Amino acid sequence: MLRRRLLALAAAAAAGLAWFQPAPAAEEKPFADVKVVLQISDPQPMKQTLVLNVANNLLRHYGPDKVDIEIVAFGPGLRLLFADNINRGRIKGLADNGVRFAACNNTMRKMTKKLGREPVLVPQATRVSAGVARIIELVQKGYILVKP
Amino acid sequence: MKVQTKRTALAAACAASALLASGEALAVNWLKMQGTEPPGAAARARVWGFIQPEYQQTKGTKLRAGGWAGQRAIFNQVRPDLKSDSGFNIIRARLGVRGTGFPLDSKVNYFFLMEAGNNGITRQGGGSVKITDASVTLNHIKGLRIRIGQFKTPGADEGLRAIHVFDYINFTNATNQLLLERFFDGDGSQDAPGQPVNRPNGPVSAFRDVGIQLFDWFTTGSWEHTYAVMVGNGNGITRGDNDDNRELYLYWASELLFPGASPFPSGAHLAPPSWSADHHGPRGARYQGLKLFAWYQDGKRTLTKENPGEYDRTRWGFGFTYRKGKWRGGAEYIRAKGMIFSGTDGGALPGAANNAGTAVADFNVVTDGKADGWYVDVGYLVHPTVELDLRYDVLNRNTQSASLERQFETWTLGMQYFFNKKSRLILNYEFRDAEAPNLPGTHPANRILSGMDDRLSGQLLIIF
Repeated sequence: MLRRRLLALAAAAAAGLAWFQPAPAAEEKPFADVKVVLQISDPQPMKQTLVLNVANNLLRHYGPDKVDIEIVAFGPGLRLLFADNINRGRIKGLADNGVRFAACNNTMRKMTKKLGREPVLVPQATRVSAGVARIIELVQKGYILVKP
Repeated sequence: MKVQTKRTALAAACAASALLASGEALAVNWLKMQGTEPPGAAARARVWGFIQPEYQQTKGTKLRAGGWAGQRAIFNQVRPDLKSDSGFNIIRARLGVRGTGFPLDSKVNYFFLMEAGNNGITRQGGGSVKITDASVTLNHIKGLRIRIGQFKTPGADEGLRAIHVFDYINFTNATNQLLLERFFDGDGSQDAPGQPVNRPNGPVSAFRDVGIQLFDWFTTGSWEHTYAVMVGNGNGITRGDNDDNRELYLYWASELLFPGASPFPSGAHLAPPSWSADHHGPRGARYQGLKLFAWYQDGKRTLTKENPGEYDRTRWGFGFTYRKGKWRGGAEYIRAKGMIFSGTDGGALPGAANNAGTAVADFNVVTDGKADGWYVDVGYLVHPTVELDLRYDVLNRNTQSASLERQFETWTLGMQYFFNKKSRLILNYEFRDAEAPNLPGTHPANRILSGMDDRLSGQLLIIF
């Protein structure tokens, strides 16, 4: 019985670790000249448009292979990554050009509580344990933080 | 050089792909724009509004014949007071709020709008502020959105379109007389002094009703198709029903969406930010496309005073709107049966006694009347801030009767100057004509109508 519980615990821990793992390093662009992390945490819909515009403009300015962009969404800004978001087409377009999207799991938990169900995210979103922690981690790696 | 070229090509490809993948196609889909919020990007409460101060003027020609000869002609007075042939007015001053009360759930939307201007909505029925829109939309069922409350009914484009992106100051004759419904208690057939004057018993319909609407839109290739079925009271706004009859509305529109941003500087103001503030230009209320539409409305009206009873009222029509590059235009055909608004006795002001003192003018409704009308409208952006407009409209009123038939014909020259995306000046000059086509030119009806003046109007529009 104890062994089974331990096994289950280990499995859960492994799944949890896998779940909260930051965006895989393989997806990052090691040869990019510029590394940028864009923060979206505001509730205003205009901010969603703005952060996507900034990402798009960076890609146009530097070229997709020369700039590494990750958009980290947390707090009310996580709505950007909802599966039915009006901007989902733009998110897919940016992801196809290498932009990564990180969704804060702390926010997910709180939203799940408020909604009564877990919000469905766009397939391009990768969950991270904490949005702010992810930003700190990226800044420590040399990313420039921009909050449009 | 080669690397630079490659980089440029990559960047261009990237930009193009991002542009092409930008969200849903947004057309001039009034049902979508007025009734729903963008999923995942709606505000909890977005406050907005607009103000429309205006000036209108005619020559003030008096009635040339008939029992009220020499008195003021109602068609030469300016709206809505009908007491002067010229004047300034705040025709509309609206404040609204819309969004989704619980931002995590985009499936429940609301729309609320108040009117504080001086017009047919606020002048009748007491009070100086009226609610024009108060509705809730439920977006839970795919293909079947549900909107409940008071809102614009699915119908003719001139009525359904947002008034603050309307390209003229006054409506066409057909829309004004056949669709902008005035509600009466009687048909106005008793004109004897001492009788109550037949006037509207409350606000004009403002192209709105209280009821429930089922609707949605679908995209196939470059086309967007929209349907709506609505059941309402058929008794206008800010009041409940006055009988047991319901109004039925049917609507279909198919729009071919043209890619790219419209060069028109103004537009999309009705839409929430995410509907409109795309990274490649204004979209939404002035998005480029060719829309074909048809609609039908059927119900009954109940009169309780002069000639009391229930009367059928049917309206239907079809048309198109077009916007591409610097050109825009449209045309509509409207047909009406029953409850034809027919102006006042002798063209006089309501409540005015005739010169013999034997009758008092009031509004008339021909309960079994028929009418039809149409218009063609074209606009061209001659400069990034200046649009020139031209419209021709016709109304054939009471075609069921040779003696009652009246034809209205108006050419409207217009100019819009866009100060910025949210402010513009509209100038219109209307060449107005009317006649009783089956009566001799010397008949009093034709002599009265010959006195219909042209109308000059200017309006400032500021959206916030």
